[in-house]
Amino acid sequence: MFSLNLNKQAEIPADIVESDFSLQVGAAVTEVSKALLGKEHQIRLALCCLFAGGHLLIEDLPGMGKTTLSYALAKALGLGYNRIQFTSDLLPADILGISIFDQNTHEFLFHPGPIFSQLVLADEINRTTPKTQSALLEAMEERQVTIEGETRVLPEPFFVIATQNPVTLAAGTYPLPESQLDRFLMRLHLGYPDQRAERELLEMNTERDKIASVKQCLSTADVLNFRKHSARVNASDSLLDYVQRLIAYTRGTDEFHFGLSPRGSLAVMRAAKTWALMCGRNHVIPEDVQTILPAVAEHRLRANSDEDGHTGASLVQRLLNAVDIIE
Amino acid sequence: MDISYQIPRAALGWMLISVLLVIIPLSVRMPVWVSVIAIVCIVWRALIFTGNLNFPGRLMRIAVVVFTLIISVSQIRNLGVGLDSAASLLALGFVFKLIEMRQKRDIYVVISLCFVMLMVAFLYSQSVLMTLYIAAVVTIITGAMIALNRSPLIVDTTGTLAMAGKIFLQAVPLTVVLFMVFPRIAPLWAVPIQSNSGTTGVTDEMSPGDISQLGRSGDLAFRVQFENTLPPLHRDLYWRGLVLDAFDGETWRRTRSSSLSSASALTNFRWNWEERIRTDGSGIYYNVILEPTQQPWIYGLHLAQPQSRNVFQSRNFELFNDGLITQRLSYDLLSFANNQTDLILRDNVRSRNLGLPTTGNIQSREFARQLRASVDSDRDYAFAVLAHFQRNQFFYTLNPALLGENRIDDFLFSTLEGFCEHYASTFAFLMRTVGIPSRVIVGYQGAEYNRFENYMMVYQYNAHAWNEVWLEGEGWVRFDPTAAVSPERIEIGVEAALRDDPAFLEKSLFSAMRLGRFSWLNTMRLRLDAIEYEWNRRVVSYDEEAQFELFERLFGEITEQKVLLLLLGLAGIVILGVALTVIRIEPGSRHDPVTKLYLRVSRELEKIGLARLRGEGPLNYRDRVAAAKPELAGVMGELTALYVELNYRSKRRTEAQMKQQLKAFRRLLGRLRLNLSPLARLQQ
Repeated sequence: MFSLNLNKQAEIPADIVESDFSLQVGAAVTEVSKALLGKEHQIRLALCCLFAGGHLLIEDLPGMGKTTLSYALAKALGLGYNRIQFTSDLLPADILGISIFDQNTHEFLFHPGPIFSQLVLADEINRTTPKTQSALLEAMEERQVTIEGETRVLPEPFFVIATQNPVTLAAGTYPLPESQLDRFLMRLHLGYPDQRAERELLEMNTERDKIASVKQCLSTADVLNFRKHSARVNASDSLLDYVQRLIAYTRGTDEFHFGLSPRGSLAVMRAAKTWALMCGRNHVIPEDVQTILPAVAEHRLRANSDEDGHTGASLVQRLLNAVDIIE
Repeated sequence: MDISYQIPRAALGWMLISVLLVIIPLSVRMPVWVSVIAIVCIVWRALIFTGNLNFPGRLMRIAVVVFTLIISVSQIRNLGVGLDSAASLLALGFVFKLIEMRQKRDIYVVISLCFVMLMVAFLYSQSVLMTLYIAAVVTIITGAMIALNRSPLIVDTTGTLAMAGKIFLQAVPLTVVLFMVFPRIAPLWAVPIQSNSGTTGVTDEMSPGDISQLGRSGDLAFRVQFENTLPPLHRDLYWRGLVLDAFDGETWRRTRSSSLSSASALTNFRWNWEERIRTDGSGIYYNVILEPTQQPWIYGLHLAQPQSRNVFQSRNFELFNDGLITQRLSYDLLSFANNQTDLILRDNVRSRNLGLPTTGNIQSREFARQLRASVDSDRDYAFAVLAHFQRNQFFYTLNPALLGENRIDDFLFSTLEGFCEHYASTFAFLMRTVGIPSRVIVGYQGAEYNRFENYMMVYQYNAHAWNEVWLEGEGWVRFDPTAAVSPERIEIGVEAALRDDPAFLEKSLFSAMRLGRFSWLNTMRLRLDAIEYEWNRRVVSYDEEAQFELFERLFGEITEQKVLLLLLGLAGIVILGVALTVIRIEPGSRHDPVTKLYLRVSRELEKIGLARLRGEGPLNYRDRVAAAKPELAGVMGELTALYVELNYRSKRRTEAQMKQQLKAFRRLLGRLRLNLSPLARLQQ
């Protein structure tokens, strides 16, 4: 049944009730779509991730528009944007910043690294060494960095969009371990554009043009407002029951190598609430959970026979098919 | 083993209280140190919980086992193999289990033991009060089980208690039915139960002081209810027990050979019975419930004819139960007040009833001979002796002066005070001295009437001794020398006769009898006893026979078929009850009304092949149905909106709102059905 649902993912999700939030989301999706054609659902999920205050991992083949998406998001939301290209010789200081001795003032002056930005694109995160990866991941978790004994708070809001090529593909990469994958609220795949979008894409001139046409439609305050309101979205007992059953299923069934962690289940709820808010509702319905679950849970789940962490998608589908919304 | 398991605080509290309550009724019967150990263990377990003490180490546990073994051996040596030693051993093991109670499994063991210990308490006493107490304790143990299975974070004592009470009440009907109909299977073995081993009532020997000892006790001996007739007057209430016909100068004994020792003797006796008695045929029926005595003999009004199985009569018309009376015994008798027995006295009986020690009491013998010479007949002589008691300053007391070697002489001529046994003994002696067959009868005299349930209560202090004298042409005639000394003892009762005697009821200082001088207290006492009596009559004495009678009353004549049907029927009811409970707890049927209605939507749509799929959310379902059957889109949309509203929008609703919305839901469901029926027909 859910293969049917999967196909529908490209469409606009469930019912959208008109509200300030859903209108804002609609505007933002329209803007970002100018840069990334035919990927409304993925854009919505990315927005959901950012509004929920989580970090986003985009995993796909090169040239699928990962960077374009993050750049367009930053523009549409009016966020300060920095891009770090991860390479194997990148050092933590290259991300966090460094103090340099100023000859004139005879003082060390701190030069903040690219991490001090509202939206950081960590491109090809699996190209760099674990040491540098963990510097970034620490900053993601703590939302502050400590350099030379001084703690510096990162800007608010602070988002990291990390991209990586599929692990199976890339030689010479350092795959992120589960513990670090867990820190990303969502992992998205963009996938090939459909024929109509592809055609449109081909008709355009250059990629630069597309991003230039993206206009800011939300402010930082709007983004923070989303986060504030999503916490107030109602989750009824029967919905929480459903989510609990889902989580219990991942923990109690043999096909799962390990179940969802409490951080994972919190992430599900956070994303579902934000999704509900984005759809203009102030209560969560099972469809919200079902929509965000692949993005939220795929990278946290792994089948018993799995070696490289790419069975999550089918597991989540199986999970959604196995657990009924009514007990 | 899960080392980290910590028994929830609330559960432990319930547990320890249960154990304490279980031990209390037993502590009365067990040695004091067992209770002390029990309290130490309970406190120890509580301290383990607070972290002040540790679980006992290996050495400690071995020491405890050795200690228990030693104790049990010494207990068996002191008390013999019996209930008391077994109970205290069980209690020891029970309380020691407490201090090594770590796991959930251990608690269940302790809880099961709690129930076992309660049953042990039941062996000691089956009174109403005890039953109520045990019911309360059962509720509390149930509470312990509930507390154990609730979240450790919940400390809701009232809730737990309420739930336990509910469970208890639910169990009551089943218990009653099982009690009524469960087959009473005879036990394969039995522990000799020494309940009430202290006071055993009248014994088959009578030395001076024996009966006055009973006079100090306010314990109940038996209760009597007369059937359809008014009870006899107080002065006629001679509850005849044993016939004591052998006298050695100090003690009156029962001649063993007078009981029936062999089957042929019994047959012979049955043949003779009718010939030995004369009655006017007007008997009274009554029922006696005797408290346990650990003796085989029972009591009744002379001349009694047993109406129950297992009750036999001896040559002297004493009544015997088949076996020692270790628990309350209920039996029916038919008594003939106007009777004559043994008009012809057989020689061996005559000589037995004339036997006296050859020496001693010279003064009394002389006195008897002179008195006999002064009257014409044996009958006159007997009355002359009674008159002697009456005329002289004889005194009726529980605390008579001590008597010397020649007891009869001392009593008759110097001390002049005594209890009924002194009078009866002396009277029989004086009769036998002059060749009149006579004997001492021990039993009870008098009773207290309980007007609430119309029965009589006979207490230990009603114990009495009197005489039977054989007179030519009259047979055995009852004489009571005590009546000559203290007429109120016989006319009104021993309470009246001994009201000012400090020794009376001294064993039971605060006995109901003493308090009974206040009339409202007395009323209450009688009412309580009436309840106890009904309890004993209807519940405690409900045995195989009574069960049989009940069945007969309910189903007519008992046939094997009927019994089998009844048992099968009952088993069926029990299984059905269990099955229904299981079905009720089966997940899936405990849905709230909203979900139930929504599931019905799916069932309706199943008819046209559009059942909700597993894992399908309401909106997706709606869209799928609408896509398949556009004509249903409207009603499905409304239904889904209402379902989402009710199920996922947690808004506080009042009862009335909820009702209204459910009603709306049902209306929509009706509409869906209406829209569906043409579609379904189409499909067919």
